[in-house]
Amino acid sequence: MILSIALGAAGCSREPEVDFDLQVRPILQDRCTICHGGVKEEGGLSLLSAEDARRPGASGAVALVPGDPSASEIFRRIRHPDPRKRMPPKGSPLSPDEVEVLGAWIESGAHWPTHWSYVVPGRPDPPTIRRQAWTHNDIDRFILARIEAAGHQPSAPADCATLVRRLHLDLIGLPPDLAEVDDFCSRPDEAAYEALVDRLLASPRFGERWASMWLDLARYADTKGYEKDPHRTIWRYRDWVIEAFNRDLPFDRFTVEQLAGDLLDDPTEANRIATAFHRNTMTNTEGGTSDEEFRIAAVIDRVNTTMEVWQATTIQCVQCHNHPYEPIRHAEYFRLFAYFNNTADSDLASESPVLLSFPDEVQARAAAPILDEIRRLEGELEAAGDEDWVQERLAGWVEEARRQLMSSEGRDLFGLKEIPGESEIEEIIKTPAPELDPNERMRLTRYFVSVVPDLKPLRDQLAAVKRRLAGLDPIPTPVLEELPARHARITRVFDRGSWLSPTDPVEPGIPGALGRLPDGAPANRLGFANWLVSPDNPLTARVMVNRLWHQVFGRGLVPTLEDLGSRGDRPTHPELLDWLAIRFSRDLGWSVKAFLKELVLSSTYRQSSHLDTQLLEWDPHNELLARGSRYRLSAEQIRDQALAVAGLLSPRMFGPSVMPPQPDGVWNSPYGGSDRWVTSTGEDRYRRAVYTYWKRTSPYPSLVTFDHPGRETTASRRIPSSSPLQALVTLNDPVYLEAAAGLADRMRRQPGEPVDRIRWGYRAALAVPPADGTAQDLLDLFEESLASFRAEPEQVRSLSRSAETQLDGAEHAAMTVVANAIMNLDDFLSRN
Amino acid sequence: MKLEQELRHAWAGHLTRRHFLRRCGLSAVWAAAGGLQIGTGSAVDPTIPAPHFPPRAKRVIYMHMAGAPSQLELFDYKPTLERLHGQECPESLLAGRRFAFIQGTPKMLGPQAVFTRHGESGAWVSDRLPHFAETVDEVTFLKAVHTDEFNHAPAQLLMLTGSPRPGRPSFGSWAVYGLGSENENLPGFVVLLSGKHQPDAGRAVWSSGFLPTVLEGVQCRSEGEPVLYVSDPEGLPRDLRRRTVEMVNRINRQSYEEVGDPRLLSRIEQYELAFRMQVSVPETMDIGQEPPEVHQLYGTEPGKTSFANNCLLARRLVERGVRFVQLFHWGWDSHGADQSEALNLGFKDRCREVDRPMAALIRDLKRRGLLEDTLLVWAGEFGRTPMLENRSGMDNRFVGRDHHSDAFTVWLSGGGVRSGFTHGETDEIGYQGVAGRVHVHDLQATVLYLLGLDHERTVHRFQGRDFRLTDVHGRVVEEIIA
Repeated sequence: MILSIALGAAGCSREPEVDFDLQVRPILQDRCTICHGGVKEEGGLSLLSAEDARRPGASGAVALVPGDPSASEIFRRIRHPDPRKRMPPKGSPLSPDEVEVLGAWIESGAHWPTHWSYVVPGRPDPPTIRRQAWTHNDIDRFILARIEAAGHQPSAPADCATLVRRLHLDLIGLPPDLAEVDDFCSRPDEAAYEALVDRLLASPRFGERWASMWLDLARYADTKGYEKDPHRTIWRYRDWVIEAFNRDLPFDRFTVEQLAGDLLDDPTEANRIATAFHRNTMTNTEGGTSDEEFRIAAVIDRVNTTMEVWQATTIQCVQCHNHPYEPIRHAEYFRLFAYFNNTADSDLASESPVLLSFPDEVQARAAAPILDEIRRLEGELEAAGDEDWVQERLAGWVEEARRQLMSSEGRDLFGLKEIPGESEIEEIIKTPAPELDPNERMRLTRYFVSVVPDLKPLRDQLAAVKRRLAGLDPIPTPVLEELPARHARITRVFDRGSWLSPTDPVEPGIPGALGRLPDGAPANRLGFANWLVSPDNPLTARVMVNRLWHQVFGRGLVPTLEDLGSRGDRPTHPELLDWLAIRFSRDLGWSVKAFLKELVLSSTYRQSSHLDTQLLEWDPHNELLARGSRYRLSAEQIRDQALAVAGLLSPRMFGPSVMPPQPDGVWNSPYGGSDRWVTSTGEDRYRRAVYTYWKRTSPYPSLVTFDHPGRETTASRRIPSSSPLQALVTLNDPVYLEAAAGLADRMRRQPGEPVDRIRWGYRAALAVPPADGTAQDLLDLFEESLASFRAEPEQVRSLSRSAETQLDGAEHAAMTVVANAIMNLDDFLSRN
Repeated sequence: MKLEQELRHAWAGHLTRRHFLRRCGLSAVWAAAGGLQIGTGSAVDPTIPAPHFPPRAKRVIYMHMAGAPSQLELFDYKPTLERLHGQECPESLLAGRRFAFIQGTPKMLGPQAVFTRHGESGAWVSDRLPHFAETVDEVTFLKAVHTDEFNHAPAQLLMLTGSPRPGRPSFGSWAVYGLGSENENLPGFVVLLSGKHQPDAGRAVWSSGFLPTVLEGVQCRSEGEPVLYVSDPEGLPRDLRRRTVEMVNRINRQSYEEVGDPRLLSRIEQYELAFRMQVSVPETMDIGQEPPEVHQLYGTEPGKTSFANNCLLARRLVERGVRFVQLFHWGWDSHGADQSEALNLGFKDRCREVDRPMAALIRDLKRRGLLEDTLLVWAGEFGRTPMLENRSGMDNRFVGRDHHSDAFTVWLSGGGVRSGFTHGETDEIGYQGVAGRVHVHDLQATVLYLLGLDHERTVHRFQGRDFRLTDVHGRVVEEIIA
């Protein structure tokens, strides 16, 4: 097959005839590394890297001798005539083709290139193409080169109305007004197009649309998760994300503030709110659970999330053992873990530490002196913990407490009250003092300070000051806060990933495969975040441009957004990906808006999405982008669009999450309690979906039906599904009926005959005019409905909810049926 | 097989192959890559999921008792525990153990029910379940099941998704993923809830995780709308609803002619199915049609939410070819902290609520010839301690037991398991399994096996690795297979 051609040319040159990534790595990964890889190293052999493979195994034989297949144990064993010695020991032997591939590969020097995504991208030259006139910018050259090489041609541009709608949905997540469509289509020249793009990028709606993408990655929710899943106040982080997109906070800064905003010099309130990114981890408030266990679960989630969001590197498996496919070692996982293991939060129901902010300036000013006072008193209590007399009393108390704990008699711990989390204090008490790490000593001291009678006056004073906040409305946002060095936790490698089996201590650091930290970089989250966005990082820019590309074209240049590693998909346009990464991070200074502008100004973007059978057969998944993309809208877009077209959508931004109508009985938590779905009133019923209250264990049903993720863990990609439940939502959900009635209202105010109103309504919803046949179909539906409602007028009132249309209720009801049909068309639910 | 499955499911519902092939005559390769629209296949269609071996069960009714019922009051009779009643628990049983609530040294608690043997198999069942006791000869008991988690939500997740943390596909999703659905008018995986609350882990226990959302359990309800948004909007006559759907599909078909996107064909089919569901779901969910004799058998009252109604609904659903029906009955967390949690009070109520219906379900399926290829599973997420719970080292107001992950009882019936059989055994106080221990991953492997699926080959590639219901564990419990 492919290989015999490669071998045929072997005479003159020893250049890589065999493609390692395409031909060799799949064989190694599918047939060998399950026993000879990161998890197991049978016979002392690992095939994770060239170095590993060239080391002698347990038998002394060397698996891989470049240039010499006959001396390579691996080649001998895959062809061994004795099935008991032949590799792999289970399943079918390697096929003759596979054996030939490995042989040729070893023969030609066993070239073992570093996986492409671990190599810092360069700036490829845009390729030469024939149809210069088609291109708007360099992106088009990369795309066109592939299309031309395949002997095809790009599609014609989309019509102007379709393009206006596409731009609106992609950039701000909402459909255009008809006036905007007409305005642009009256003079659809280049300047008008660019002006439209600029206007959309500057719209406050922009941030609301792009926040949805980021909030999936941030696993943002309004509850704490796990079993009880109680309320969490963290909406200020959601607002921070919206604002960050709106003011086009450069992505490098966007990164650093979220991962380490608290460690910046003199951090602002916004910098600290940004760190709530990693306080979206779940908190377990169920009785009997170990706070330390779930604190560690949260830290693990932070490591995994960070690596997926910024590096598209799957690292979950390295918790327990070396990576089975990537050159990442078990201990390296815990070096990453060490960066995130030193924040003050510890799975407490109180969410401490929280940042108190206030709804307005007046309150903020009033609160400032109180907060200062609280900080001062808390500092005093903290300092008291270091005083000799406290430490002396503590030592005696611990001794007595330990004695009581070890005996079976009743215990009163010196009559001190019991507080939540005590079981862990107990564990610390039982541990001999010399074995405690600084953090455990701190927790013990803090506990003692919180109960020892001598400090009661100081504690009472603090409580009194805190009560002075009562007249104000502080918004407590959980944030990251670094423990001071003297209380720092010691990170240890967990044997097989179990937190109950800590082994050797490790220092913070990055996996060797991804590069090296610059000298003098601080060994904390700030140093780590700075490295992520440094030019030395091979992945961050590629990962982000791939995400943005996916949002605009419906498919990433690497379709597996979550994995750019060796198990992820290969890029369809590797040079373009690298070119975009450099363009975004260097030329455009990490500006998301400037980058998106280049994408939507390209001719590639502006193509029509029509496909004929030939185009479909040639490129079913539209990998080469010889046509515009067509895909279903997101959950948020579907809701927002319906409300917008109905004229109901509220433009109100920010603030606590809202609770639009949902069916009774959906929200039914095991413990009932104070968390209730209280349907919002007035404008708040019609806010954009990004403001909908998100309860992890009972998420808003109609959004989930359209593939909104549960937000328990980070989600890079929503896989669009198609299910009858979706049809039931847009056909029957009262929210969508209300929207249909709203559109019907607008249609009825239009002049002309019913068919004119129907044409107008169709255009208001889809931007393009209906085909004549479609208008006739909808008119038939209108007339049938009208006849039906005239015959049974009692039906009208319930369907036609709008009060002002009682003049001719039957007509409005019939128009509502038509509007409901329009709002269920695939063209309406899709972006063309 | 793996690759084929992955391709099949990668974009579930991406196109309707049959229409597409008829129309465009494209190669089967593209069709396979385009994926399958679950639930609309024909037997000869190669892209419809197929079992790995001949299935013994075609469908499953899984009854999950959320809160974890006490095996020591129902099935696992321990005379020795009765003798030790009131004595302090020996230190050896407590060393190195963590409990949810027990602290210090608790006392042993004898069985809080009267046990007798039943049927030809002589299985021990307590007087809490008199109706069920008459059906033990149809049942296989697993007496030494164990799990890794001792809090409700993680243990429910481990039992039903194979992992203690949310985010993995559930049992039913995997079953439909591997086998498809048999009914064109109903979802393949249906969830029915009863009891005061939903299960502690919430929707995550019937989630499709990273599998396509079409595989998520569809919650059907006895009160209000049987499926969310399945009823016609108020004031819209059924005829107009039908006409709307016809018109939407007509226009969608025109769009397809124009833009040629095969996804449109899938959309058309989904609207057809949605409309069929609008007709068939309310019909299926209307137990009012059942004769009085059936209501008497189950103890059902139409229009209420109850475990009895859900058992009858489960029968109606499997009769119509639904692959996996998942029942949850909440309220078994018998700590003894209050009356509803007391073994001598609330627990008795729970038993009364499930006893007659679950016995009726076995009998009803059997007489209809459905029991032989319908598998019933009855389980909690863990068991309860042989010790009396002493929350915070003090006596609770009522009698109760703490969470216990080391040993509990699960029963199965029909669908290829042995009848009148008991597998596994616990020590003389029911604290540890001493023979025939079955981990929850083993139970999962066994249920999949009975459905004809190899748990090691029922996998899905996600985030760079193959995931399966049994994680990296699981052994088929061959001993219980008929």
